[in-house]
Amino acid sequence: MNNAVGATVAEPTGRAAGPPAIKVSGLYKSFGDVRAVDGIDLQIASGEVVAVLGPNGAGKSTLIDMVLGLTRPDRGEISVFGNTPREAITRGVIGATLQEGALLDDVSARELLTMAASLHARPQPIEEVLRITGLTGLADRRTRLSGGQRQRLRLAMTLVSNPRLLLLDEPTVAMDVEARQLFWASMREFTDGGRTVVFASHYLDEAEDYADRVVLIRSGSVIADGTVPEIRSVVAGRSLSATVPGANAEHLRELPGVVTVEARGDHFDLVCADSDAAARELFARFPRAHDVEIAAISLEKAFLALTSAEGGETR
Amino acid sequence: MNTGFLVLEVKRVGRARQFWIGALFFPTVLYLMQANLFRGDIADRVGVDFSEYLLGSLAAWAALFVALNIGSRVALERATGWQRQLRITPLSPTSYLIAKLTASLVVALPAITAVAVTGGLLEGVRLPIVGWLQLILGIWVGSLPFALLGVFIGQIASADSVQALTSISHMLLGVLGGAMFPVVAFPEWMQRVSAIIPSHWLAVIGRSPFEGDSSVGLSALVLAGWTVVLGTAVTLRYLHDSAQD
Repeated sequence: MNNAVGATVAEPTGRAAGPPAIKVSGLYKSFGDVRAVDGIDLQIASGEVVAVLGPNGAGKSTLIDMVLGLTRPDRGEISVFGNTPREAITRGVIGATLQEGALLDDVSARELLTMAASLHARPQPIEEVLRITGLTGLADRRTRLSGGQRQRLRLAMTLVSNPRLLLLDEPTVAMDVEARQLFWASMREFTDGGRTVVFASHYLDEAEDYADRVVLIRSGSVIADGTVPEIRSVVAGRSLSATVPGANAEHLRELPGVVTVEARGDHFDLVCADSDAAARELFARFPRAHDVEIAAISLEKAFLALTSAEGGETR
Repeated sequence: MNTGFLVLEVKRVGRARQFWIGALFFPTVLYLMQANLFRGDIADRVGVDFSEYLLGSLAAWAALFVALNIGSRVALERATGWQRQLRITPLSPTSYLIAKLTASLVVALPAITAVAVTGGLLEGVRLPIVGWLQLILGIWVGSLPFALLGVFIGQIASADSVQALTSISHMLLGVLGGAMFPVVAFPEWMQRVSAIIPSHWLAVIGRSPFEGDSSVGLSALVLAGWTVVLGTAVTLRYLHDSAQD
């Protein structure tokens, strides 16, 4: 784990000149007593593929809605390629797939896509989009589509607009494994051309397979922001707890493979990137260590670990 | 101006069978019923042939009936999130509005014509061709503010309440405006109220070929005023609808 993981404004990757795809600063939004977004700063460079991960209710959807201009922030600034969200929408540079975004039941996929294409100056050819999303055979049907088919149609509506920035809010929620794979295969084919993609998800493996950067959000704040390997090294780790008489947190942090240490008297909870190495060295250095338990780490626990990780920021 | 959205909207109303049945039959049946029910006293008081008087009024009511029904479908589109989806596309409020109005006009024209044809064929109403055109096209264009009102109702109502709100509007505009029933059947005070209701002026346009009335210009002016007011209301509402505070 290194200092790159932290709730800081990420350095632009320098992959593309010009204004960042998304720049968010000092963003706050409350609904009644609930602070949905509680001070977010985030910069996403043009061409980046970013996963926004977090448990339900973390503020992901509110953040995306604000970037789309669907929700007005209480405080803070948002720019999309240097424009306000509304300007960016009007210029057609953003394509978004909303969670449970509505479709029309009285028109076919082809008719819907034809309309969506007509709204944009340089749309993607409809046949191409139908092929990429695997909807060619269903294009002229006016009957109700299945959940996965509807979600692919939502994606097709986004893709046909040929956007520079794709914002996908939980694009694969309620899809089975096969449908998810098909979905991401479509996305990969489409975004090879260096588009910026930001997607919200609570599936970690989606982030691993697809994103080059992961932003973790919890309770309306960014708790970690780093590359996939950086985040993965913590999340894929294991927790090791042990009673170690005579040791302190500093000692245990020096063990190989240890990411974080939490002490309660003689009892220690460690998050390890390599729990085998840590355990071997633990027994070697502290022969009196006992009650050792090693367990898989949950995503939630990993998030918690990250908030207290070195270089991370605790709010 | 975006034609893709307009084409889709027109296709959608074209497919909505329930609207066509209501639009073509309901005003026509109401016309035939009244033309044969009200005889004598009331019929004598309208000043022109009763079948003619009713034809003008109910053709106007057919237009506003259709316009309100089509427009208020917006409430369902808001409930399903379709409005939200449109808000994240570059579709301009103007294109949105023009498409909604066109969809309403597409159904209104046959609805008005159905009442006119019924009058001509079954009630023996006679007009020169110019008169028929004045009646049909006058009401058709005059139905625009009602299409806007329908959209506005759709914008402020929920999916549950839209049906009730639309029906109340049909009744208020139809009864008080004297488009649904002959206004001479009402007490004096209701006839006076009628003069401030926009549907009164649409019915005046509808009856103008029979009455030789010179207030067509005034009617057009009043309805144009309503068009501007409601058009502004709908546009503002569209812009702010999806932005939650």
